[in-house]
Amino acid sequence: MTRVDADIEALKEFHAALIRFRDAQREVAARGGQEVEAARASLAERAGHWRSVLEQRQAELDVCRRRAAQAPAMDDEVDCAGYVHAVAEAEQRLEQIRRWQQRVEEEASVFVGVAGRFRNLLENDLPRTQAHLSALITRLEAARGVQSPGS
Amino acid sequence: MPAQIDTDGGHSLSLLADAWDKAAQHWHDEMARDFDVHHVRPLLDESRTYLDALRDLIEVLDTATRDTTPS
Repeated sequence: MTRVDADIEALKEFHAALIRFRDAQREVAARGGQEVEAARASLAERAGHWRSVLEQRQAELDVCRRRAAQAPAMDDEVDCAGYVHAVAEAEQRLEQIRRWQQRVEEEASVFVGVAGRFRNLLENDLPRTQAHLSALITRLEAARGVQSPGS
Repeated sequence: MPAQIDTDGGHSLSLLADAWDKAAQHWHDEMARDFDVHHVRPLLDESRTYLDALRDLIEVLDTATRDTTPS
């Protein structure tokens, strides 16, 4: 193989690499959005769970407080500290989930811009680069009298 | 999950960079420099930016999942 052929072959190799890259990265380009959706769904499910737990614990605390209010009349003592603690724990869990939901939305909104530019790169810029390189290879082959396979 | 991104996105990006290095070894004229500056570098840089952002995002999402899962 001559030096000129090697040059053209190297460009053809790079052209093939561009096509493989575009195919491989299309799936990667969609991944961020999928991951964000999965995280949103997971956090919403957990928030729902803890809202239900909070509701139940709050009801138990209310019952305890009513018993505690009636206890002195019956010369009794009722300690609701455990119920108070359980309610506080559920509130804390919900607040933690709410903070993460907010953070995920912030991160997702920053990511959307980067992902949009990358999709544009794959769908518009990269095909233009491929076309430019193809035209260049064709011109080089014509100028150097190299026959394309099948011509 | 970040390791998966490295395997998929990062690997194909380094294959592309390698392919360009090989092509550039045999192409030294002004057109090669123009192609490098206006086509290849933006492609590689923007891809790296995206993959870094994706990796960072997935780390945050993983932490969110871990932090809100009852131990």
